[in-house]
Amino acid sequence: MIWQLDLSILSLIVVCAFATIMVKDLLSAAIIFGAYSFLMCLLWTEMGAVDVAFTEASVGAGVSTVLFIAAVHQTSRRVTPRKSGRLLSKVIGLVAALLMGLVLIIAEADFPGFASPFSPASLHLSPYYITQTLHDTNVPNIVTSVLADYRGFDTMFETAVIFTAGLAVIAILRRYKKDDSTEIPEPYTISEGYPDTIIRFVARQLVPFIQLFALYVVAHGHHSPGGGFQGGVIIGASFILLAISFDTRMIIGLMSEKSNILLGNIGVLIYAGIGFLCLLLGANFLDYSILSKVLPATDKVMARSHGMLGIEIGVAIAVMAIVISIYINIVSCGKYDKDV
Amino acid sequence: MGSIISDYNYWIYILLMMIGLYAMLAKNNLIKKVIGMSIFQTAIIIFYVSIGAKEHATIPIIAHGHGAVEAAIDVAHYANPLVHVLMLTAIVVSVGTLGVALAICLAIHRRYNSLEEDEIQEQLQ
Repeated sequence: MIWQLDLSILSLIVVCAFATIMVKDLLSAAIIFGAYSFLMCLLWTEMGAVDVAFTEASVGAGVSTVLFIAAVHQTSRRVTPRKSGRLLSKVIGLVAALLMGLVLIIAEADFPGFASPFSPASLHLSPYYITQTLHDTNVPNIVTSVLADYRGFDTMFETAVIFTAGLAVIAILRRYKKDDSTEIPEPYTISEGYPDTIIRFVARQLVPFIQLFALYVVAHGHHSPGGGFQGGVIIGASFILLAISFDTRMIIGLMSEKSNILLGNIGVLIYAGIGFLCLLLGANFLDYSILSKVLPATDKVMARSHGMLGIEIGVAIAVMAIVISIYINIVSCGKYDKDV
Repeated sequence: MGSIISDYNYWIYILLMMIGLYAMLAKNNLIKKVIGMSIFQTAIIIFYVSIGAKEHATIPIIAHGHGAVEAAIDVAHYANPLVHVLMLTAIVVSVGTLGVALAICLAIHRRYNSLEEDEIQEQLQ
């Protein structure tokens, strides 16, 4: 950890946070927020949280920015100030923020020193993970082994939360042609995509490499930063790149609503199914070591490693389908039936 | 003075939380409120990751080679992986909540043709 780097990144983060709140144009706010996320990603790397940085780079700086821009594109860029009560709302906001800041500053006095190896959070549970992961699971990336094995329950329901979020977006936005055939106002039609040959060519050439990299991220998450969440988001992002540079309808042809929901289901079911398989073989739910009975030529340790790979694949499929589904719904405002 | 300099991560996370809360309360535009919510979320993530950071520690991936005999693993040598796991999933869930929040904004815009809080309130009355 280099404190000069830490301090300069943090100062830039604060500048970006102020700028994204203050700027009048919503598109600029979205772009500055993307820069803010990218600085966050540098900050995580600097503090040694490489897996968090990878997730922030693909999710925060990548997909979130695209979602913001899609939403701004569908609504309006302008920000109009309040007609009345501007001062009152500012005062209420300031007082609440200052009060919360005061409480947190008082609490800060009792925090352990920053970057102290003896902070209570680093003394109780994590030493077990750090010392035992190679012995228990043969996975050197401790984050992966904690995510997929030691805290597998947690991750399973996180995946279910992503799936539920995808369903919620469909439930809120989706409008079917047969129910709602009368009005199709201009901003709601699917953006055609700007026909630029260079952008289209480069995007088309990039997509296979992005997807290959995503598969590497999923498969190599045991030994390097990465895993199911990051890999799934990167595959989803490759489809979103095609949707931006070509036409959203092309992606709907490739990944229809039905297949997205089906893939989301399959992903969560792979995760839960591996858990139930362990249960059927006579061990606890998600106790992968018992899988050595069915997997050829594996001992109990390697079975846990392979079990993790299985659930990472499930997570990747679910996250990919849901990211694409959320993007399609937001960019088309829920109107994407064929021949609209 | 020493503690103020060394604890700057905590001060920055408090500042970012205040910015996020202010944006959620005081801003008129709903997209700006969603951005404030995201800033609030990242401030909490800074707090967690700062708690797990260790001085002179490396990333939580154990150095290994094929067939190499494992040396004794020193806990203080690796950053705390538990907070990383919790925050990794929090970031992924945050894109889910962001999608739902933006979907609600779009549904509001579809109905009231505005994303400004006071204009929507006028139409509600």
